[in-house]
Amino acid sequence: MNRLIKKLLIIVFINFIDQNIAGFFSDLLIIIPLTFLAYSLYVYRSDNNIGAIEAFLAGLFIDLISDSYFGLNAIIFCLITYVINSYANAFKLFSYLQICLFFGLSSTAYVGFTQLVINLYNFSYLILFVSAIVNIIFCVLIAAISVYFPRNVKMKI
Amino acid sequence: MARISPTPSQKITFFFITALGAFILYLDITTNNFDIIKHGFKSIKISSVYIVKNLSIEPIKSLINLSRSKNELIQENKNLKKALDKSYLNNYLISRDNIFFKDEEIIRKAYKDGEYSFEYDIAQLRYINPNMYKCCDKHRMFIEVTGTSEHGYKESIVFNSSGIVGQIIDKSKFSEVLLLTDITHSLPIKSESNEFFCNANGSGKQEIIICSYNPLVWNEDIVLDQIFYTSGLGGIYPKNIKVGYIKSIEKISSNLTNLEIKLFADPLDDNLFGVLKY
Repeated sequence: MNRLIKKLLIIVFINFIDQNIAGFFSDLLIIIPLTFLAYSLYVYRSDNNIGAIEAFLAGLFIDLISDSYFGLNAIIFCLITYVINSYANAFKLFSYLQICLFFGLSSTAYVGFTQLVINLYNFSYLILFVSAIVNIIFCVLIAAISVYFPRNVKMKI
Repeated sequence: MARISPTPSQKITFFFITALGAFILYLDITTNNFDIIKHGFKSIKISSVYIVKNLSIEPIKSLINLSRSKNELIQENKNLKKALDKSYLNNYLISRDNIFFKDEEIIRKAYKDGEYSFEYDIAQLRYINPNMYKCCDKHRMFIEVTGTSEHGYKESIVFNSSGIVGQIIDKSKFSEVLLLTDITHSLPIKSESNEFFCNANGSGKQEIIICSYNPLVWNEDIVLDQIFYTSGLGGIYPKNIKVGYIKSIEKISSNLTNLEIKLFADPLDDNLFGVLKY
């Protein structure tokens, strides 16, 4: 129960940061899906496979708190969980750069899919392209920090 | 520790759960079935923020105020601010630029039927998602109306000190306002000369509505910065209210032109709104 509450609080906190930075970045044509990236990292770092129901409920909860359509995050979270579960062992053979590319591109796919649903009439390839570059750089930065400052971050990618 | 790849049964579970998610998404987009849950959550969120603020920040604030012995002054300041905001709304209604009072239908109703007395209710902004407003198609806002209308506020006009921002579409604890820029919103507008009429749809962009028309049918010359007014044809908004000005003109084809109209009023500018029904 404590773990569940802790997870929910972390989701709410990350989503809160996500929503606050989104306003600033949207003026620069950038979308960084922080909640999605954090969840992906959680699934990736988990010792056991994350179940479909857990992914679905986490997505549904984020749909509720982020004011988007029900099911939107639930579907994407299920898909990313399935992909990461499937390739969890293969990731160990990949370099950091390849893993960063994977997460950067999957977050771009997330941006594209969510924009198709919630912003269909103003869908912009420019936003998608800029977001892809920024997300990949962001993932590389996170990986670099965890590699070069392991004591400070205490997070291993 | 190695993780095993999903087994066939896990794959089937993922497939069914994803299909269920897709079904829920479809339902939410096409129907209003989940609105009760969403509104309930928003109400709880707003109320809990209010309670937490009252329990945590307000006591600290009042302690500081007590120590400075400026409580009365601060209260007076708050009242003055509220009165000032209200006067801005009044000024908007009675300004010369506005023709709320020159609308013949309103005047007829006011004098003949006694239905309308030029009074409006004050509403406080309770919730707006600036991210959704800046990025996406769905532009909504929640306000709390401090009045008691017998007929409810559904389809009432919501305005701030700069102009009309939208209409109330739903009333739960807080009134949901469909903003002019919402992709589903359509506003009948006209030019000053009364020679051009058009339905301006919300663009999903901040402060922008788009009017698509056939230049072969409407031959009035439309120029940049030209001001547009409500036509009153929709039955919701009174006519001759300034809406916005032409920001750009895009000729799509020989029989289709898009006018991008920048609105005078931005809902993010004010916390206080007027709610008017006529």
